Amino acid sequence: MFKKALLALPVAMAVGAAAQAGEWQDPNDVLQNLLQNNPDSKYLHQSEMNIMMMPDNPALWLVEEGEELFYAQRGPNNVSLEGCDFGKGPGELEGAYVELPRYFDDVGKVMDFEMRLVHCMKELQGFTSDDSAVGQRHGSGSDIMKLTTYIAHQSSGMAWNPPLDHPEEQAMRDAGEVLFFRRGGAMDFNCASCHGDAGKQIRASVLPQMRDSQEWTKAVSWPAHRAGQDNVRSQNHRIRGCVWQMRHAGILPDTPVNTALISFWNDAARGEPAILPDLKR
Amino acid sequence: MLKKKTVGAGLALVASTVLIAGCDGWLGETGGEVDITAMSAEELADYLVLETGSYRLEQEAQEGGSARDRMTQDGIQAACSLEGDPDAETAGNVIAMARESYEAPPGGARLGNWRRGAELARSGYGYRVGHRNDDHGQREPGGNCYACHQMDPAEELYGTLGPSLAGYGATRGNDSAVVNYVHQVVSNPHQYFPCTQMPRFGRNNFLTEEQIAHIMAYLLDPASPVNQ
Ligand code: HEC
Repeated sequence: MFKKALLALPVAMAVGAAAQAGEWQDPNDVLQNLLQNNPDSKYLHQSEMNIMMMPDNPALWLVEEGEELFYAQRGPNNVSLEGCDFGKGPGELEGAYVELPRYFDDVGKVMDFEMRLVHCMKELQGFTSDDSAVGQRHGSGSDIMKLTTYIAHQSSGMAWNPPLDHPEEQAMRDAGEVLFFRRGGAMDFNCASCHGDAGKQIRASVLPQMRDSQEWTKAVSWPAHRAGQDNVRSQNHRIRGCVWQMRHAGILPDTPVNTALISFWNDAARGEPAILPDLKR
Repeated sequence: MLKKKTVGAGLALVASTVLIAGCDGWLGETGGEVDITAMSAEELADYLVLETGSYRLEQEAQEGGSARDRMTQDGIQAACSLEGDPDAETAGNVIAMARESYEAPPGGARLGNWRRGAELARSGYGYRVGHRNDDHGQREPGGNCYACHQMDPAEELYGTLGPSLAGYGATRGNDSAVVNYVHQVVSNPHQYFPCTQMPRFGRNNFLTEEQIAHIMAYLLDPASPVNQ
């Protein structure tokens, strides 16, 4: 069933494509190219099994469900999400995901993708935090992950290109870089403790190096089906997991530390094509 | 409701912000008065961590104190928040801070039981807080050495972030100079490796002195599988 969505997309892209962002590409093609260009990357090549499974990535099942949710009239206000502006205009999804976080005039601040989605579900559709539609952030069964996967998929193969024109976008990106290197917590870790060198392993996992943009584009390509957890996960879920393992304080959703970290990490993958959705260990 | 508060607090301040900084920047959820573009990246990062409700800072930390204490940097954490290796001056300062804050165990460093050390070296449990909290009443926290180091050469799952420690005691022996040195490295490693990625297991109260003694035995006891 997701095949339909896959086939329909490139046609739509050809018509409305923003040339600068690059062409839509099937996530498996993006991955295959990366693998070919980086034959020595232990991180990219670590799981033959996942590479083989990529054409049947279970995350693709969420695309169609997410599409239905996006266009359905929902919430107390009974409207669809077509009025939601992810930065390219209301309802314009092509290329939107790879150009976030960005500054939004209507709220006067920089928002990352999930923040923006939740903002629209609350402001347009009238959901509140108590509704599971926005309250439940994680798991393949959640509305948020279905919508995230559908919307992100519209940017597959396009280059990460978070805007830095607005001074707040630049400020958040720069703060995110400082946060990446900010040591703290019970183990004195920063993000670079584990993502500073290429080909290093924590137990069995090969870790991506942040300064290698071709490793890093895969690293930040979420949503991704996590085989080990049998669920589709988001960028924010990844941050929460790493922060928890670092023995820092627990990080909360919809908060600016998430936004700053994502501003920086998407920037660190700038110019490289996104794999949306990806499949990870 | 958040929104109302922001607008209310923001309105009066927009004018002054615009006048002073010529900029309309502030973070919505922080009460409205902050121009994030007027801060240095370092100031903004600290502000984001400590003032924006991004973390559950009021949560209790297992080692005592709160999660806020964990996110408030001490001298070594602040000095080592850098990319790559520290320059000579920073390294010197960090070594000095580490020496000053090192505590030798009462009665001197000693070796415990390597079997207990083996368990502690494997266990990655402990000290995690947030959406799930590690409960030290249910399970003893460990040192998680294998996440970064090879130790027992027969063990297949190990990390490579730190150097291999296979045969560590077999090549070095375990006289008191070696035992004291290893204690310093496990407890407060920046004395020898300024800005290392290795945690300060003693200084941060992550492992007890007894646990450190067991892990040292795992490394240095001739009977330990690490040295076979
Ligand atoms: C203690 C080590 C450690 C620290 C510190 C750490 N991470 Fe991770 N990170 C991991 C591990 C382990 C994975 C999962 C890799 C796997 O399973 O293949 C991971 C995965 C990731 C990924 C996705 C790559 C993938 O293939 O799953 C990103 C992006 C990431 N981390 C970012 C960060 C950021 C940002 C920070 C700082 C807030 C951070 N990490 C801190 C260990 C760490």
